[in-house]
Amino acid sequence: MLRFTLERFAGMVVTMLLVSVMVFLIMEIPPGDYADRYAFRKYSGTGVNVTEADIEAIRRDLGLDQPMLLRYFDWIGGIVLRGDFGQAFAFETSVAKVIGDKVWLTAGILFATLLLTYLVSIPVGIYAAVRRGSAVDYGLTVFSYLGLALPNFLLALVMLYFANRWFGADIGGLFSDQYRDAPWSLAKAWDMAKHLWLSAVVLAWSAVAYQIQTVRATMSDELNKLSVTAARARGVPELKLLVKYPARLAINPVVSTIGFDVNRIFSELPIVAVVLGLTELGELLLKAYLDLDMNVAGAILLLLTFAIVFMNFLSDLLLGWLDPRIKLGV
Amino acid sequence: MSDATHLTGDLTVAGACEHEARLKYYSASQWTLIWWRFRRHRAAMVAAALLGVMALAGIFAEFVAPYGPVTRDTQYIEGAPQIPKFCDAAGCSFVPFINGTKTERDPVTLRAISVPDPEVRHYVQFYVKGEMVKLLGFIPIDRHLIGLRPESGQKIHFWGTDDLGRDVFSRTIYATRTSLSIGVLGVLISFVLALIIGGAAGYLGGMTDNVIQRATEVIRVVPIIPLYMGLAAAMPKEWSTTQVYFAMTLILGLFGWPTLARRIRSQLLSIRNEDYVIAARLAGARPGRIIAQHMLPGFTSFIIVDLVISFPYMILSETALSFVGLGLRPPSVSWGVLLQQAQSVRAIEQTPWLFIPAVFVVVAVLAFTVIGDGLRDAADPYAEAS
Amino acid sequence: MSKMLSVENLSISFRTDEGVITPVKGVSFTVEKGRTLGLVGESGSGKSISTKALMQLLPGTARLGAASRMIYTAKDGQQISLGNLRHGSKELRRIRGGEIGMIFQEPMASFSPVYTIGNQMMEAIMLHRGLKKREARQFAIGMLNKVGISNAAARVDQYPHELSGGMRQRAMIALTLSAGPALLIADEPTTALDVTIQAQVLDLMRDLQRELGMGMIFITHDLGVIAQIADDVAVMYLGTIVERGPAKEVIRNPQHPYTQGLLDAIPSLDHLHDRLKPVPGDIPSPTARPGGCPFHTRCTQAIAGTCEVHEPPETSAIPGCAVRCWLHTSQGRSAA
Ligand SMILES: Nc1ncnc2c1ncn2[C@@H]1O[C@H](COP(=O)(O)OP(=O)(O)OP(=O)(O)O)[C@@H](O)[C@H]1O
Ligand SMILES: [Mg+2]
Repeated sequence: MLRFTLERFAGMVVTMLLVSVMVFLIMEIPPGDYADRYAFRKYSGTGVNVTEADIEAIRRDLGLDQPMLLRYFDWIGGIVLRGDFGQAFAFETSVAKVIGDKVWLTAGILFATLLLTYLVSIPVGIYAAVRRGSAVDYGLTVFSYLGLALPNFLLALVMLYFANRWFGADIGGLFSDQYRDAPWSLAKAWDMAKHLWLSAVVLAWSAVAYQIQTVRATMSDELNKLSVTAARARGVPELKLLVKYPARLAINPVVSTIGFDVNRIFSELPIVAVVLGLTELGELLLKAYLDLDMNVAGAILLLLTFAIVFMNFLSDLLLGWLDPRIKLGV
Repeated sequence: MSDATHLTGDLTVAGACEHEARLKYYSASQWTLIWWRFRRHRAAMVAAALLGVMALAGIFAEFVAPYGPVTRDTQYIEGAPQIPKFCDAAGCSFVPFINGTKTERDPVTLRAISVPDPEVRHYVQFYVKGEMVKLLGFIPIDRHLIGLRPESGQKIHFWGTDDLGRDVFSRTIYATRTSLSIGVLGVLISFVLALIIGGAAGYLGGMTDNVIQRATEVIRVVPIIPLYMGLAAAMPKEWSTTQVYFAMTLILGLFGWPTLARRIRSQLLSIRNEDYVIAARLAGARPGRIIAQHMLPGFTSFIIVDLVISFPYMILSETALSFVGLGLRPPSVSWGVLLQQAQSVRAIEQTPWLFIPAVFVVVAVLAFTVIGDGLRDAADPYAEAS
Repeated sequence: MSKMLSVENLSISFRTDEGVITPVKGVSFTVEKGRTLGLVGESGSGKSISTKALMQLLPGTARLGAASRMIYTAKDGQQISLGNLRHGSKELRRIRGGEIGMIFQEPMASFSPVYTIGNQMMEAIMLHRGLKKREARQFAIGMLNKVGISNAAARVDQYPHELSGGMRQRAMIALTLSAGPALLIADEPTTALDVTIQAQVLDLMRDLQRELGMGMIFITHDLGVIAQIADDVAVMYLGTIVERGPAKEVIRNPQHPYTQGLLDAIPSLDHLHDRLKPVPGDIPSPTARPGGCPFHTRCTQAIAGTCEVHEPPETSAIPGCAVRCWLHTSQGRSAA
């Protein structure tokens, strides 16, 4: 198991390294560089005339005149060694400050969504497989198709509309007005929980639709396995039998796609955040892109992707633990 | 399969017919078989028909849409859909009509609003004269599929109008063309990339394969919409709508290949050492030719299925990007651009008809998914032969 | 000797996309206490589903014919009608495993890959013997020892894929026997093993059956195996039993053309130069079951005008044996 873990860990580090290269390249794509945009932003409309030399000075100050390779190492080095993501120009402060505790808000949303996804999709998928061909199964299939076809922002709007009608106006966002800028407290956390469920439902929707089908398919396969018939022939009570044999194995594909679900959720986050007025990384990412604040955007993209890679790693470990065949390499 | 050999002695007339049907079955080509099996998949057939109608409407948008995508009707701003009817208080008619409108002031807000004028009837006509447009971009016509006579001095808005008085029906038809064509181009681009990348990995194997596998892995872990957003954000603001359009197809196509490339790679790897491939190689055929002529045909049907089911991702991504303002920009119209006007709960309450393009998104995505499923079942050589 | 299982008129049909098929039709057989019934027949003749019906292991699309009777005499002497047990009832659970045990063809697939051998054995032991966990473990180790698995105390904590094929089948036998069944159904338990292991497992099963005094139904398509292990034999063809009787008798003096064909098909070491003599023709598909005697399409001695029209009745020429063939009726003989 130790060897298995170390192998996966090394794989994770390599992937993260490559991801950071890719993110860096994306940060470099927009025309002009940080100095251009900084000067433009700071001085446009102020009447001050910015010369090419001024911009050049800023560039030199920040080391932007260095070759790309050096700048990459500078950037990634800062992140890894000092947790320094560089400067955010739109907010005139460091990227780390801008991102700040939004990381935890985002993590909160992510975990609420994942929890909801699995709490719903696993039992429902199992049920659909056991009752294969019934009206319920048919209805769930239709739901799954719809769940994957409905654009998430539309779902967010519809949910928001109904939430507003049934639960009052103050349901969007992550906090009520009085807590938005308050320091963290139990009351604030509770307030957040009360707002969180809507985002979680919207974000979990398509993941649930997808995972129900996965669980249903594996469960149907597993139900037909000889080992299940053999256990039944030994007189194992039906419910215990379902849980211990097929259901236990039907969870494996879900575990192996945790990273994929996180990916899907992060992919939807910036869009859903616009509609729901969430103040977390997704929304900040969109804002940064629109402002071409590439240091902030790059930092967020990197964080989100690292989170996905890390979840992949965790899911590999979990799978190795759940399925003894994997870690033995059978 | 084995059933055919067990046809026992008594070949009655019905038996003979069945026998003939079976013979036809066993001698049919792969594509004929797939088509036969697909035809029996009712949901997929319905989906294909729906998509066909959408595509046709999009291609001939100039003719189908009564008005241009940016034509304004200042008489009817944020107006509700006008449903043609056969009867009103003054009696019934065989030709559907709508009532005229007149402008009055809202007694409360004092805003000018349009209210129906039951005194006037405008009859809905097919093939009516209207704006001069260029069909398919080069055939000038002034006839439209449906509309009101120009003499009526009024326009018909089946699905209402937006805040600038632009006809939602016409705009949706034009948007259908944009959104579907972006999907098609995006899928084509990613197909070509997948063919090259997956082909190289699967055919060459070894080191090349390792490197490509790593790169694929990296692209697969980055959340796709934020990635697209990053590229879309880099499009210069001063680009023309056409430039943005093509840039968008490129962006969508650029990262759509990993799944398909994987499929091609693994299929190629598995048949790389089959005798017929080695024979072709020994005969001195070039790699491109070997892949195209000898290796690909074996799993073309799977590739087609994968292509069909990658449409929804393209369409949903374009819609999402345009929705948040990082995709196509007005005055282009796409489903996403249209939905940009419907971003708030207020829109649901006051102008729900602005959500009609969303129905198109859902229907198109569903249709592609269902067709993909139908094709997958049809292409499966192990499916029931009965 | 007393009957522990008597099956009469068992018919099984399935709802399928192509309509209802009846792959088992009017099957009757009995199993005596402490004796082994061999069930032989080609692939698809309905051996497995006939025995699965005993334990209600058929899928939901299956229906038993109205005249089907399956009477089982439990260890305590109680007579139980197996077809009438309610799903999920305690009685059915006791029958499954506790009274009747089953071993399948694929030893690998019969174990769940994610639990250890011991885990799956202890589950059965705790269910049917009411032992506590620790005792159950000891019992499991004892059982593994009994079926000839060396180092059982370590093996008990291994996963199925860590064992060789023969080992796995031994473990499966241990698992099934640890629940203490009075009747053992072995569905081609040696088919998936290589020949030397086959013989070992066969020996093991015969010894265990004698030692524990169990009744056994041994399914195979190899009459040679029957000769080694079975006391009685029933030959199945297309869902009906065409001949049955004491194994020695049937093998020495087969009455039914199909049984004769099967015996001729066994390759013999004395005649290595001869060609193999398979039963001619293919087994018809269950959707196209021939009328009359099901075997007439492949029978070399078929009587035209009789065999393809009427189903032959069961007759008994030799005491203790029964055969379903027109050749053994006065009617058929006169027609021939
Ligand atoms: N679930 C099912 N649905 C429909 N038909 C079935 C089903 N299970 C079995 N059958 C039919 O019953 C017939 C007999 O099956 P069975 O498994 O009993 O054969 P068998 O004699 O055990 O053959 P083998 O030696 O291959 O194990 C098969 O030919 C099949 O057509
Ligand atoms: Mg069988």
